[in-house]
Amino acid sequence: MSPFELAEPASLAEAIKLLDPQDSSIRPIAGGTALMLMMKAGVFRPTRLVSLRAVKELSAIATQADGALRIGAMTPLSMLERSAAMLAHAGVVTQTLRTLSNVRVRNVATVGGHLAHADPHMDLPPVLIALGAHVVVAGPEGERTIPVEDLFAGYFETVLRRDELITALVVPGQGGRRAAYLKCTTRAVHDWPALGVAVSLDGDSVGAARIVVSAATEKPIRLAGAEAALRDGGHDDAALRRAGDAAADEAETTSDGQGTAAYKRQLVRVYVRRALAAALGRGGAH
Amino acid sequence: MAAMGSGQVGRSVRRLEGAAKVTGRAEYVHNLRLPGMLYGKIVRSTVPHGRIRAIDTEAARALAGVHRVVTIADIRAVVPEPFYGPAFHDQPILAVDKVHYVGEPIAVVLAADPHIADAAAQLVVADYEELPAVYDEVEAMTSAAIVHDVLKPAGTFPDLKHLQGRHDTNVALDFHLRRGDLAKGFAEADHVFEHTFRTQQVLHLPLEPFVSVAEASGGADDGRLTIHTASQSPSFVRIEIARLLGWPENRVRVKVPYLGGGFGAKLYIKLEALVAALALVVRRPVKISLTMEEQFYTLTKHASTFRIKSGVKDGRITARQCEVWWNGGAYADIGPRITQKSGFTAPGPYDIENVHIDSYSLYTNLTPAGALRGFGIPQLVFAYESHTDMMARSLKLDPVEFRRANILREGRPQATGTLMQDAAIAAVLDRLAARMNWGKAFERGSGTTRRGRGIAIGFKASISPTTSIAIVNVAADGSATLYCSTVDMGQGSDTANAQLVAEVLDIKAEAVTVVHPDTDVTPYDMATLGSRSLFHMGNAVKLAAQDARDKIAALARELGLPEGSNVPVAELFQKKYKMQAGNIIGIGSYIPPYAPPDHDTGQTPNATPYWMVGAAGAEVAVDTETGQVRVTRLVNVADVGRPINPRIVETQLSGAAIMQLGFTMQEKIELDGGQIVNASLADYKIPSLLDIPTDIQSEAVEAEQQSGPFGAKGVGESGTFGVSPAIANAIDDAVGVRLTTLPLTAETLYRALRAAANEPLED
Repeated sequence: MSPFELAEPASLAEAIKLLDPQDSSIRPIAGGTALMLMMKAGVFRPTRLVSLRAVKELSAIATQADGALRIGAMTPLSMLERSAAMLAHAGVVTQTLRTLSNVRVRNVATVGGHLAHADPHMDLPPVLIALGAHVVVAGPEGERTIPVEDLFAGYFETVLRRDELITALVVPGQGGRRAAYLKCTTRAVHDWPALGVAVSLDGDSVGAARIVVSAATEKPIRLAGAEAALRDGGHDDAALRRAGDAAADEAETTSDGQGTAAYKRQLVRVYVRRALAAALGRGGAH
Repeated sequence: MAAMGSGQVGRSVRRLEGAAKVTGRAEYVHNLRLPGMLYGKIVRSTVPHGRIRAIDTEAARALAGVHRVVTIADIRAVVPEPFYGPAFHDQPILAVDKVHYVGEPIAVVLAADPHIADAAAQLVVADYEELPAVYDEVEAMTSAAIVHDVLKPAGTFPDLKHLQGRHDTNVALDFHLRRGDLAKGFAEADHVFEHTFRTQQVLHLPLEPFVSVAEASGGADDGRLTIHTASQSPSFVRIEIARLLGWPENRVRVKVPYLGGGFGAKLYIKLEALVAALALVVRRPVKISLTMEEQFYTLTKHASTFRIKSGVKDGRITARQCEVWWNGGAYADIGPRITQKSGFTAPGPYDIENVHIDSYSLYTNLTPAGALRGFGIPQLVFAYESHTDMMARSLKLDPVEFRRANILREGRPQATGTLMQDAAIAAVLDRLAARMNWGKAFERGSGTTRRGRGIAIGFKASISPTTSIAIVNVAADGSATLYCSTVDMGQGSDTANAQLVAEVLDIKAEAVTVVHPDTDVTPYDMATLGSRSLFHMGNAVKLAAQDARDKIAALARELGLPEGSNVPVAELFQKKYKMQAGNIIGIGSYIPPYAPPDHDTGQTPNATPYWMVGAAGAEVAVDTETGQVRVTRLVNVADVGRPINPRIVETQLSGAAIMQLGFTMQEKIELDGGQIVNASLADYKIPSLLDIPTDIQSEAVEAEQQSGPFGAKGVGESGTFGVSPAIANAIDDAVGVRLTTLPLTAETLYRALRAAANEPLED
């Protein structure tokens, strides 16, 4: 690892000033679980890292007036995992966190870093997209919000500018919505997902289902065709099967060490159906 | 003092080093820092096969803090003939003229700061004239790409001498066995079956990667070297380094503390020749610690292809033809011994009159392959036990009964002609069938979950002939210290050896001190490998303890004490020397009898000092929509002779089975044009606790190895033998689909299911 500058600003404004919209060798660092691996492997050689650990304003979990849950970007994943507010708000996030990486990583990795890294194998993005969540982003020109669904531009790519920082994640109130996340690993039980499937339904009604796949695709993505297949509201096994088939047709899966694109399409077919069944409370539906 | 009945043998003594390990106090080479020490970082080849045109070290040398960049030209100043290896002198300390695989060391950067060495190593650039490469072991038989221009057998093994000077070939050894009349055996058969199986390249991945430190002292004529190394073979390292330097053995000292796992990777020469040469070049201590990723470029397990053909008449196997190709990678390492020593068991533990074996060791342009827990046996068992089940299934015979009808029983000749002795094959099969409730009905699942079960049994000969020597030192207070060069790499040899000493001397095992390998102090041992230590070193340790005991008895007689008097040992010393002084030194040396196989027929009356027998049974649940397999139960049964330490036996069996479970279900080195694409633990997944069946059982059957210490024999590998085919057989039982290539991944199975349904999945 070559020497680099490590800045530890105490405020968000100061942190943004230390970033440079033009220089890719300057990056913010939160928990560092992913960035440090890239640096050790020599894939990323920073000239300056802007540590956000001293920026106190980024780590609170609070319920907003509109019923949404606002999670500071520097909240460690393990803190979110243990948050009673999160469990009450959307238990699917809590459940997802329990099998996300391992406890050592969760203790250090942060919500903001998890999203900004844009690794398609991350577990939370598909879940957050299904829940209709958005992020709050701060930059030199002030704040803007971006739906998580629109945050990812591609493989390890977000729509964020180099001098923008995610400051918070906002998960709207779920009302009667029910969600499920299924993770499929192919090389070991404990591994990066080869496929993640998150679904969210409006109660028992599948007509307004949101269906999101990740890991098997270049970025986490909603499957409009699969959602459309459920629009008439039928949710018998045949309907769920149609949704799975539509998802398999629609998802642009990629080949890698976890499986070929063709095999991953089959996984999409099966796991979309099973995730819908799980959200409907039909656990043993396969 | 009774030879038996002290209660030390057969007791589950806790690991002597357990407390030191869990409190972080155990000594490892990784923790060693010497004054003035430099860290070396290896620069590695980026091409699979090529002639080196130039190595540009200028930018690396210019980096502040770099002490020196060393290439083979510098090494040759201290080691003119820098080629080593246990079977062939084919492996150079750094690449000479050519590189033979991606990751081969071509230069080393030395710096006092390891991070600087690391950064500088990335600045070294080599220019290659690329050559055609070969990766597949079967293709290597006939390929135009030739890995080595000429074969250079080491001369240690008589059966390799005929290969001296051969060229235009990738065959590093061809082993042949001929027994009976194969054509007649096939002509007699009602059914003939032929199948081909393939196993993949995997690796050992000890959690302590390779690490060695060398320090040189003295001048040209009285130079000495001390090598601290995580090695399973300190005696070999000493002899080989002395040979490379043209020095007498006694000027090379090799010290080995604890190892964080070895599994066959840390044998022979790995980093030792390199650090030794570097220390001589720069006259400062040099340390090289590999990263986890670099282990992928050091040693692997042989990928293999096995074509097996059998004739069956009335449920009896009448003939068997075995052709095995072993993918040895770029350097032979110990591959040729695997080809022969394991090759001769290729027909399996069955009583077959007519047998042919052709077993080939191949050079390819991959990371070298060597010993890995089982020494080739798991590859063979996967083939012959899958084959056994496929025949039984086709003939509508019960797999257990088919095996019982053909099993190699006590006193019957094995394929080499050696008579089976103290090999509890039938008992192991019986106990496995009982534990699996084989005769009882089995719940087969429903819907998209289908359940099945399978068994498999394998056996192994011990590497032979090999020598072990031990010293037991009884101090004036009666306390005992064992000096031996067996390496405790986690298998519990310190504890077991202490139990042997304690049993003979009638003291507590916990009171015995075991001195770790230090070739200036501990005597010769061939190596800690192939489950040989408990038998070979165990016999030497027992003899040494008996020698000490006999000398104590002689001292008592000398002092005029009546025969059988129980005067404490400390008092004998006091009476003799008038104070607390003196030692009694017991020495034990052991080499078992052996007869080499005939070159043309492979026949020998004494192929091995003992046989290891291991069997596994598996129950699986298959998801027919995804091909995902859950191993719900894994039962391991083995003949280990009489267990010296039952608890260690159990963990050795289950540990071996879990390791093989990884090789069966998950692990594979993925290649793209000779480049490894998954050289990290993030992408090469070994089993975690979640991958291990919740129901995993191990059993050592009632057995005795008469020639072993207190009836014992080795146990480190037996748990690996049956795992892969037992699972493949269980999958077939569950869904009627046969997988013949490892690993048995979900995608492989799903594709096979689709193919069987005549709806193949696109590529």
